Amino acid sequence: MVEIKIDGKSVTARKNATILEAAEEAGIYIPTFCHYKMLAPFGACRACIVEVKGSPKLFTACTTPIADKMEIITKSPKLAQLRKTLIELLLIHHPLDCPVCDKGGECQLQDLTYEFGVAKVRFDEKPKNTPVDHSNPFIERDIDRCVLCGKCVRICDEVVNIQSISFIRRGTNTYIGTAFDQPWHCEYCGQCLSVCPVGSLNNRVYLFKNRPWNLTSTYSICGFCSCGCTIRIDHEADEVYRIKEDVDKGINHGFLCVKGRFGYELINSTERKDVAVINEGSEKKEVAVHDAINLAFNKLKDIVKNNNSKALGFYISPRLTNEEAYLAQKIAREYFKTNNIYSSEVAYAKPEGTFKDVEDSDAIIVFNVDVTESNPILGLAVRRSARAGAKLVVLYPSFTALKRVATEFVTGKPSDLYSACENLLVNLNTKNKSEDNLSEILKNAQNPVLIYNPYNNNDLYYVKKIKDLLPLVKLLPAKLKNNSQGIADMGCVNGYGPGYRVVERGLDFEKAILNNELKYLVVFGENLLESTIGTEFNNIRKKLNLLLVIDPFLSETAKLADIYIPVSLYAEKNGSYTNMEGRVQTIQKAVNKSKLSDLEVLIKFYEMAGLTQFKDIKDIRIAIENDTPLYKGINWEGGLIKYSEVIIGDFTKYKLDKDEKSSNFILYPEASRLHSGTFTRWSDDLNKVYSEPVVNLNPIDAKSLKIGEGDRVIIKCGAVKGIFKTVINEHLTKGLATLPDNYSTTIGFFKNGPYCNVNIIKE
Amino acid sequence: MMKNRRNFFDIILFTEIFQGLLITIKHFFSKPVTEMYPYRKPRIYPRFRGVHYMKTNNKGESNCVGCYLCGRICPSECIDIDTDAGPNGERLVKKYTIDLSRCIYCGFCEEACPADAIHMGKKYNLIANTRNNYVVNMKYLVENYRGEQ
Repeated sequence: MVEIKIDGKSVTARKNATILEAAEEAGIYIPTFCHYKMLAPFGACRACIVEVKGSPKLFTACTTPIADKMEIITKSPKLAQLRKTLIELLLIHHPLDCPVCDKGGECQLQDLTYEFGVAKVRFDEKPKNTPVDHSNPFIERDIDRCVLCGKCVRICDEVVNIQSISFIRRGTNTYIGTAFDQPWHCEYCGQCLSVCPVGSLNNRVYLFKNRPWNLTSTYSICGFCSCGCTIRIDHEADEVYRIKEDVDKGINHGFLCVKGRFGYELINSTERKDVAVINEGSEKKEVAVHDAINLAFNKLKDIVKNNNSKALGFYISPRLTNEEAYLAQKIAREYFKTNNIYSSEVAYAKPEGTFKDVEDSDAIIVFNVDVTESNPILGLAVRRSARAGAKLVVLYPSFTALKRVATEFVTGKPSDLYSACENLLVNLNTKNKSEDNLSEILKNAQNPVLIYNPYNNNDLYYVKKIKDLLPLVKLLPAKLKNNSQGIADMGCVNGYGPGYRVVERGLDFEKAILNNELKYLVVFGENLLESTIGTEFNNIRKKLNLLLVIDPFLSETAKLADIYIPVSLYAEKNGSYTNMEGRVQTIQKAVNKSKLSDLEVLIKFYEMAGLTQFKDIKDIRIAIENDTPLYKGINWEGGLIKYSEVIIGDFTKYKLDKDEKSSNFILYPEASRLHSGTFTRWSDDLNKVYSEPVVNLNPIDAKSLKIGEGDRVIIKCGAVKGIFKTVINEHLTKGLATLPDNYSTTIGFFKNGPYCNVNIIKE
Repeated sequence: MMKNRRNFFDIILFTEIFQGLLITIKHFFSKPVTEMYPYRKPRIYPRFRGVHYMKTNNKGESNCVGCYLCGRICPSECIDIDTDAGPNGERLVKKYTIDLSRCIYCGFCEEACPADAIHMGKKYNLIANTRNNYVVNMKYLVENYRGEQ
């Protein structure tokens, strides 16, 4: 600890702290402009200059480390004069178009101008009239307003590690731009616009829609992927205007991804229904939601009365909150007397490591999952950790964005990948020092983390083996949806009750539905057309006696339903989500679109059933805590759940498919950072960039097939056939092709597992 | 104290009435003070604050940039603005309404306007048959500007 004096106040701060950090800890304010908590000190703006007694030179507080017995002055007439001049100099080139600038009202330059009392600029204004750049679909770039603080450049490099923008030229000609002034296409995470202190980088989804002083903020949890990022929902008059981040709150350190930041317009979508839809034979009738709930309940009650419970199934989506999922499985098991509770989630892979573990780890294995696409915020944690010195091993069929930071990157056909795994297992088993780099990294690691895909059975075999050989390794399954972990905990997996209590197993979903053993199906928010039975669902539908769909949107499945009940989305309800690391976080209701939530529908069911009443979230949480030992005494505002048996079960090894010889490509599912299923496709802004499934091909393969970028190709695998647009991707391994697996047109290829041998020809 | 006794002649000759009439007759020939509304319009002073108008450029497009500052400063909260990004990425005013029945004609909006757009006009006669008809839009305000010129 070092003893210093700031403005006459004695302060003790840790060694190597900067003056700014010491002052912040002591509660002394120093104006900053280019400083950002999550970035390395830069010292570009000079707004934080301070005087140090005994030195004629001024110091920038954000870059200068403290020394013993330093006496610092943060406020003096000299400093005030200099800071004022600094702003005046910035205002030479900065256009004063605050009334039309989207940043007006929350602009740091505006605030500092006010603070330093700049009423008049002594220098001649020299505004440039560069046209505004609209090449990025989500970010508007107005170069004239830029003050060159470099935050966007630094966050794109230090955090996102994409380096898509940088300083160009020198001196007064400097500007922020892309290499060779190409159109700006990047990961669209929008980290740069979140740190821009002026209106140079703006959110195009929110662009000119409102002003910050009109907006009310509500803190909640993002409802897209399983990372569980804390978001700030800015809303006015029951309309969500934008999603902001908070650097001080949550596990995401103020970082968001493209879905979380720009995909929110689906909440305000005009395609959402206000009324329920009842399918009466040939015609569809719109009825009030309450009538539909009554009708649905009576139909379900009749099933129980007629002892048909065995043929009744509940399919629960991981988009539901913990409370909703718990109530849904409870009423299904206790009142509707069925054990047929299904979901797309798995009960055998549970998290052990956390984001913090990833950040502090010295060796990370990313096993056959593209985290930068499927769980972008975890991807950022991996990249930051790898940049900070952790060894990163990635096994994936093709190169991903992690290539830049990876120590070892193994690519190849699935058979190559798994043989590398076999090799790794053999080397891990031997005590001697081996030639193999992968196993050496793992063996020498103090706190290794393994990130894997819990939905791939072949992977799980190796994950389990690695965990057995290296008990030190912390497992982190990259789950997909916002409450993937939570609904499994709540007992929405076939054969498991709340807290993974083993209960009587219901019918096997795929078998039962194909053999027409399941005649009545209640679907909570899932689009079955993109599940493994998706290709046959239209036939299955004809045999179903009842299909009740409760979904925020009139999805493909909901259109086929007998009764469709519209419900609310994540910004419109209270509850909690459990993220991929097992952290329970509370979501807050921000807007009211006058729709019932799944919870209110279920409570109505409870009322009609005459069962114990749950009045609000609190009651249900008490019930969950009593029923689930895992959640006993948990802090619902960010408490971490400790799981035992993080990976259990028997998994099958990858077997080489016989057809591999006769087909020319191996197709594997690709995660997209823009879409995570049907849900995100209701956002028009995300659709603007990724509107239809595209197939990625290697340039050499494309050349031999005479396929150009954007051409349509026919993909054939047995009876499954589809025509898709091509994107030529040089990072792809030769002989492989990718398609997203969460479209009803593409799911047919991945029916029997994640790899499919296909023939690709030009249309 | 002596009682103030009235003059006998004053009583029989109604002098007081004629005295009063004299004042009235004098006013017959003096300038009228009453505003002869609606036959004659009252005089409007330069700083009069009447119904608003919206200044336009030479092409007849409103000067309003949609900064929301007038709505922010309005003490009676009668200005409602809605903006969006236009086709070329410009700020587009989708909706601009003033509820004239709620307006207190303080002129703060005019002061706050950074774009020389909203102004207080000289127009004051304002009759509508429903409350909703007092809510005026951008078209009305721009037409008002033509009337002001």
